[in-house]
Amino acid sequence: MKALRIALTLAALAVLAAVPWFGSDVLIQFGINALLLAVLAQGWNIIGGYTGYASFGNSVFYGLGSYGVAIAMVQWQLPFGVGLVFGVALAAAFAVLLGVPVLRLRGHYFAIATLALAQVMTAIVSNVKLAGRNIGLVLPPLNNDPLFYELSLGLLVLATLTIFWLTRSRFGFGLIAIRENEEGAAVMGVNTTLYKTLAFALSGIFSALAGGIHAYWVTFIDPESAFDISLNVKMIIMAVFGGPGTILGPVVGAFSLSAISEFLSSEITSLAGLFFGVVIVAAVVLMPRGLADMLRRFRKMGWRYFAENIRTHRL
Amino acid sequence: MDLLGQILINGILLGGLYAVMALGLALVWGVLNIVNLAHGAFIMLGAYVSWYLYTYASIDPFLGLPITAVVMFAVGYAVQRGLLNLIIRAPMFNTLLITFGLEVVLTYLAQLAFSADFRTINPAYAGNSIALGPVVLPVARLLAFGVAIVLTVGMWLFLLHTRLGRAIRATAQNLVAARLYGVEPRHLYAMTFGIGIALAGMAGGLYGTVSQINPYIGAALTAKSFAISIIGGLDNPLGVIVGGLFLGILESLTALYVGSTYADVASFGVLVLVLIVRPNGLLGKAA
Amino acid sequence: MTAILEIQHVTRRFSGLVAVDDVNFILQRGEILGVIGPNGAGKTTLVSLISGTLTPSSGDILFEGRSLAGVHAYRRARLGIGRTFQIMRPFPGLSVLDNVAVGALFGRGGGQVQLAQAREQARAQLDFVGLGRNVDQRADELGSPSRKRLELAKALAMQPKVLLCDEVMAGLNLVEIEEVIAVIQKVRDAGISVLVIEHVIKAIKSLSDRLLVLHHGEKIADGEPGSVLANQAVIEAYLGKRRT
Repeated sequence: MKALRIALTLAALAVLAAVPWFGSDVLIQFGINALLLAVLAQGWNIIGGYTGYASFGNSVFYGLGSYGVAIAMVQWQLPFGVGLVFGVALAAAFAVLLGVPVLRLRGHYFAIATLALAQVMTAIVSNVKLAGRNIGLVLPPLNNDPLFYELSLGLLVLATLTIFWLTRSRFGFGLIAIRENEEGAAVMGVNTTLYKTLAFALSGIFSALAGGIHAYWVTFIDPESAFDISLNVKMIIMAVFGGPGTILGPVVGAFSLSAISEFLSSEITSLAGLFFGVVIVAAVVLMPRGLADMLRRFRKMGWRYFAENIRTHRL
Repeated sequence: MDLLGQILINGILLGGLYAVMALGLALVWGVLNIVNLAHGAFIMLGAYVSWYLYTYASIDPFLGLPITAVVMFAVGYAVQRGLLNLIIRAPMFNTLLITFGLEVVLTYLAQLAFSADFRTINPAYAGNSIALGPVVLPVARLLAFGVAIVLTVGMWLFLLHTRLGRAIRATAQNLVAARLYGVEPRHLYAMTFGIGIALAGMAGGLYGTVSQINPYIGAALTAKSFAISIIGGLDNPLGVIVGGLFLGILESLTALYVGSTYADVASFGVLVLVLIVRPNGLLGKAA
Repeated sequence: MTAILEIQHVTRRFSGLVAVDDVNFILQRGEILGVIGPNGAGKTTLVSLISGTLTPSSGDILFEGRSLAGVHAYRRARLGIGRTFQIMRPFPGLSVLDNVAVGALFGRGGGQVQLAQAREQARAQLDFVGLGRNVDQRADELGSPSRKRLELAKALAMQPKVLLCDEVMAGLNLVEIEEVIAVIQKVRDAGISVLVIEHVIKAIKSLSDRLLVLHHGEKIADGEPGSVLANQAVIEAYLGKRRT
């Protein structure tokens, strides 16, 4: 069975990689967006799904990555690769400096703190001259969608492989232990502060890389779009819908939700955002443990699965 | 010196409005342990209700607050009883996520219903000011401040001295015991949430008289309300006054001495600091 | 015999309440030290102070001659101090095997161990405590007596030099208690020094080399089990003062 799963995944990967050759321009663009969202979801998966610290502000890292690339390329005339490294460095520094104090907060206080940090970054960056204040920056144009597509796909593969490595490594085990019982993990020898911060930084790095690629692709960023708070909504719901704490869950969630949203918005434009909101609400009530859990249990329980979820959680 | 005095007055008046903005959130959070990330969206809805009453029925925004309150109470009751109730016993993260989603839904529905235009509620007297020695008190802000204080102190008295208020507090502390006293928890939870949303709605009505409203103000107001609640502390219902005044004055001073675009930075910076150093807030117990 | 753990004038206050009051004692290498006392005597607080979850208000704790002041809980775990929890703390979503593997990965032997190896070690520990058949069950599916053994196995997987057992016999029947006693003796025979907190006096009397009694946070007796249990102050602590 395992060999079959690997074969299927590789086949899917090959198909995805081939899209720029047989797909339309619109499909490629949709692909880039969906792939980058999947990267964000996987990034969130590391800190939210595996470590159990639900960050509501990973958009900060996305924005830092975007501005890292933009500042490097526009203000300092450095190549894209260097810009990406700069964005990653910004994200990592932020994760360590602010992560250490903020990760000491439990549950919803952590969520609120990350939300507050995300809110404030837009305000801060709007005041920074190097970042173009609230006018933003215009990057050198590069009209090569297939390249951005393959870059995004490569990043997603990297993110997913990282998660795969997590499930087999001492580090990943430590994170899961922290999620399941943080104090229990500490007395068994897990350096919880270090591990949480590393997980936060790792998730931030992937978000930053996604932001960097996106910035170069759309050629223009400003504080509102770079630190777009609605990204937090999307990445969390995609990860949670697909299955937090699983290897492929967030990818499945990202692709399926993107596809449905795209379909809806081609029919009725402003409904895309509304769609995500409704999906979150419905999913939290009916399938709080995500798609993976639902598919597994639905086979045994049928429609009763949803009723069960409600029954265990209602007052 | 006069300028500083004026800034302080502005800060205090703003602080009163902030207090009532956060009041509903603090009530629902402290009592029901529901962290409502859609709180700001309800403020926004309340503002629109007041705007409609004013624009189409010529009802003065301050006098019309009770109507706004009743409408928003009904909305809140329905949302809690019909939706949030379903996940009350799930992990806290589910509450965060569902209210997060609710915020998105409400914002988009508002955008569809009201369009994205900016609106204000501008009764004739709104532009007037009262001079008090060296400082000037804008009438609208002064009235908003007055109503805010009345509501906040009223809520505090309500929780401590009325039967319903005590029942709410009892239910929050011990669900089983409350049931033994004949309290129907689902109804009580919905009532409490309804009161919280009614307060948010009234805050929205007040907000509309001093600032512009559009469908997107929800997220920022939510974040601000959290800052106020946390800085003041959730243990004491009067915490929102402390938090509100603190932030109101802080933002006014920051706008004067650093720059108006830094006001938000100051607020959220303080929020993060408080979370780290004194998570129970200024009025709470030391951690 | 040398002392592996030295508790020196340790006091712990919780805003006004003194939970542990100037307690002094020694845990000898290779011995089983029982700690008893009425409810609220400060026993669990004492264990938390040793394992590092709490810090003393004053006093010092020495492990193998070196002070533990400022040493975080996770570092103490790696140095070789393991504990079980009275209110059990499994990792609910993980299997029984993986629960114990965490101990193998992060405990004293932890740094170099790979996941597969850790799982092997976990298997061995589970066999040692008698849970060999439950390795693949989810931790939260275990019944209470099995959970206590899981706690033990987790602590043992850390290859501790000192094991702190917090009421591992609570809620067990006589047969199960006998089994736990046997396991703890096996642990001691393997070279681990054990500090056992218990309420079941009969069990701890036969198990311990020495007995320590806490009452209102103070140590009121320390010595050979028989003489400690006959001590007037100890009897009064449990039964109350006699009215004459």
